[in-house]
Amino acid sequence: MLNRLVQWARRRSPWVLHYNSGGCNGCDIEILDLLTPRYDVERLGILKEASPRHADILLCTGPVTRQSRDRLRRIYEQMPAPKWVVAVGTCATSGGVFRGSYNMLGGIDQVIPVDLYIPGCPPRPEVIIEGLARLLATIDVPEDKPPRDAAEPPAEQLKSVAADEGEASDDGD
Amino acid sequence: MLSDILYVLIRLLVLPGFTFLLACALLFQWIDRRTIARLQARVGPPWYQPLADLVKLLTKESILPAEADLPICTALPLVSLAAVLTAAVYVPVGGHTTYSFEGDLIVVLFLLSLPALFYFLAGWVSVGVYSVVGGSRSLLQYFSYEVPFLMALSAPAILTGSWSISRIVGQQATATWTVFVQPLGFLLALVGLIGKLKRVPFDIPKAKSEVVGGPLTEFSGRKLALWHLTVDIQTVVGVFLLVNMFLGGSDLGPLSSLPLAGLMDALGFGLKALVMLLTLSVTSVLYARLRIDQLADLGWRVLAPLGMLQLAVTMLIGAV
Repeated sequence: MLNRLVQWARRRSPWVLHYNSGGCNGCDIEILDLLTPRYDVERLGILKEASPRHADILLCTGPVTRQSRDRLRRIYEQMPAPKWVVAVGTCATSGGVFRGSYNMLGGIDQVIPVDLYIPGCPPRPEVIIEGLARLLATIDVPEDKPPRDAAEPPAEQLKSVAADEGEASDDGD
Repeated sequence: MLSDILYVLIRLLVLPGFTFLLACALLFQWIDRRTIARLQARVGPPWYQPLADLVKLLTKESILPAEADLPICTALPLVSLAAVLTAAVYVPVGGHTTYSFEGDLIVVLFLLSLPALFYFLAGWVSVGVYSVVGGSRSLLQYFSYEVPFLMALSAPAILTGSWSISRIVGQQATATWTVFVQPLGFLLALVGLIGKLKRVPFDIPKAKSEVVGGPLTEFSGRKLALWHLTVDIQTVVGVFLLVNMFLGGSDLGPLSSLPLAGLMDALGFGLKALVMLLTLSVTSVLYARLRIDQLADLGWRVLAPLGMLQLAVTMLIGAV
């Protein structure tokens, strides 16, 4: 009962933090579009927060440069659990056109675990909203599982999201 | 004896105590956010949004920087919430007062100003750069709005000759609403309330684009939820206080003599509170944030002299 209330609250109140770890600003502008009257993600309870401590979802854009790697990791570690990471745009997903460059590490998942990839250069705001809505639908409150560990490798993360999704559909949600 | 205790408990915990205030706080927050969204041609959040936010924050991990003072950081939001809830006990709602005595206005004003100090302390002990900057801004802001706010709320008390809120409300039912006698005082109190609640023209201490989250930058989870709840309940108490002091409480003029007096009281009070809340929402859409020096300027060069003028006029009228 209480778990269901918490799950309901988490699915309906995702506060996002936006961080660009070295992209071209294209995806950032599409993310800001979400707040405009045309898309208005406050309908879904999404608020853009300025402090990592207040946020639930980290919206990452751009490939990770060597210089921003530590900042990205620190921002992720500052967020209180439970937390989710969304890679927005082709660069954040795989490194994009910057892949293989001497000062790039590649996509966001080279540094922190990613829960959702939204490709596109830049992705349209509708796609970002769709992606966020799908991510929210997978949010589950397990009975006695501890919060996700930051040190968990990305592959594990993806599997656990897929598993959560299966459980959610079993519940009939 | 037992029924007396039960009666007091119900008054404190259910109506018009904690449960009622919590419901009002969530409702006011939703009305506020929805109004702002509609005025910006957006749809806005659904009605359950404030509840979802509260539950989510309450069940999140609560972390603080290693250098932060954990016991004080835990105590501060609790104490501020307690201060605001205690203030609510002395503010009449719809003509009913839980407790009332001569001088409760001063107690309420004191209790309502406590969260501002704790807010500053929260910034100071949580050691983040933005927290400390936000904290010092909030203290500077406190000194700018609090003096005109106090002067504006003293004027009705001097007019009535009583420092009890329920007496001031009663006086307005027989004479006329204070807002018609002291429109200037009402405006000052409104501006002071906006400053107290750190709403948009005066959201200097927590301006996202300048100081991230202000004093609350490093707060998360349960502590942040309690801080948000403090502000929401402070909004409710502040709006109720202004309705009581300036808008005649639940008095509806000639309509008050209609049947179902209790219902009319609740309706009148709710309607006035709604008008006050919408005024706050519209104000925050209309105006852009001031700089801290502009606010100090406004507070000391415009609002404080006007407050003194209001007090002087009230005293002169009282003397004649």
